[in-house]
Amino acid sequence: MLEYQIFFDYAPMILLGFWLTLKIVVCAIALGIPLGLLLALGRRSNFIIISFLSTSFIEVFRNTPFIIQVFLFYYVLPFYGLRLPAEYVGTLALAAFGSAYFAEIIRAGIDAVPKGQLESARAIGMTDWQAMKNVILPQTLSIVIPPLTNQTLSLIKESAILSTITVHELTMTGLMVQGETFRPFEVFIMVALLYWALNETIATIMRKFEKNIKKSRDTGPKNNSSTALKHGENTR
Amino acid sequence: MTSKFLELKGLHKKFGQITALNNVSLDVSKGEVIFIIGPSGCGKSTLLRTVNWLTPPDKGEVWLEGNIVGSLSSKLTIGESKLLNNFRARMGMVFQQFNVWPHLNVLENVVRAQTVVAKRNKAEAESKALKILDEVGLSEKIEQWPDHLSGGQKQRLAIARALAMDPILMLLDEPTSALDPELIGEVLSVLKRLVNNGMTMLIVTHELGFASKFGDRLIFMDGGEIIEEGIPEKILSMPKTPRLKMFLEKLNITSFKH
Repeated sequence: MLEYQIFFDYAPMILLGFWLTLKIVVCAIALGIPLGLLLALGRRSNFIIISFLSTSFIEVFRNTPFIIQVFLFYYVLPFYGLRLPAEYVGTLALAAFGSAYFAEIIRAGIDAVPKGQLESARAIGMTDWQAMKNVILPQTLSIVIPPLTNQTLSLIKESAILSTITVHELTMTGLMVQGETFRPFEVFIMVALLYWALNETIATIMRKFEKNIKKSRDTGPKNNSSTALKHGENTR
Repeated sequence: MTSKFLELKGLHKKFGQITALNNVSLDVSKGEVIFIIGPSGCGKSTLLRTVNWLTPPDKGEVWLEGNIVGSLSSKLTIGESKLLNNFRARMGMVFQQFNVWPHLNVLENVVRAQTVVAKRNKAEAESKALKILDEVGLSEKIEQWPDHLSGGQKQRLAIARALAMDPILMLLDEPTSALDPELIGEVLSVLKRLVNNGMTMLIVTHELGFASKFGDRLIFMDGGEIIEEGIPEKILSMPKTPRLKMFLEKLNITSFKH
């Protein structure tokens, strides 16, 4: 029934596709989360132009199909003289799409921090940005980790769409192998397993990370304690 | 000079239809301890929050040591907001809900604004924090997380955080109202020390006993206006206006119930 030989013969090729998917996704997230943070802050900005541009960006990328965005990036950018390899275009599209969702998650996280926190930071003389950096965003982090993880997982799955613009990532490779072998079952099982393994790994890491943050608040910090103790003993 | 330490001039503030401040003016001398009382919604918290421009008034001015605080333009210039932040750093504010920072331990709560706003180095900020935390009785708790503190401890931490900035004025917005009765004393005793040290303070409170004992002046507000002001004991024992009489009667009735 299953032709096991196919797993062995085509594993290197499939893994090469997986490697490209991994690279694209890591870059898209590394670009997308900071961009999302900027957009979230931009949306709250007092400067009308900045908040308008940020809001427009978020709404456009949230409310259009990703595949259309990919086509637009792929076919329209060259018109403006920007000729990039397909995997670069795909990474940019994925980062832009992801950043819109990341932005909304981060914005919701910022809003979830009680108002008194910002007030106390401003009342002690912090600028808006100092208050964000020292008081609000650190508290946002533990709130946004679960939804950010979710969004990351779905971004990894969306990356399959880049196969439509000739990016030789995992899905594209799968399609090619299936074209050679006419064994869709074996091929797409391999492809599915790799996506699943990647997502499961990320989900597990993020769960650990989340737990660590919660735990550090129960037991006390590790990095500050040495200096604090030293001073504490001096005073007694 | 001494009489012009803090001046509030003709403050107006409306929230929609509700008038929170209606032409409130107040002169505060250095070292003066002023208690503000009044029914809820009378504008007493708003008054406190306009002093450091946390709630900018619609009209009016705040002067601290001969310098104008804040600006009525809806968008402050970079220079104006920088000045405002400098003023704020020197006006310690304490909130009813404490608003300590839960992601920082006790020591770091007191250190952070010193390093970020006052630009002190970490060692200097830490030794100052430890000294002040000792004064408010939290030296055993420096590595604790705020979530593990009682309400009274949180409020003492909030006071320590403000004191670390070397404020010349303290604004306290119902500092004991969110506390269980048995925890009020520990916060009041910290405030007592501040009074004895000559700190200038504006305190919104319902603790009339404390106010009459330690206040230089008591202000009764209602409907966004200062209705009566004067020496606390005098005002409380012989209220001139029916509104204050009614307010005090209500407070007495509720305190009998305890």
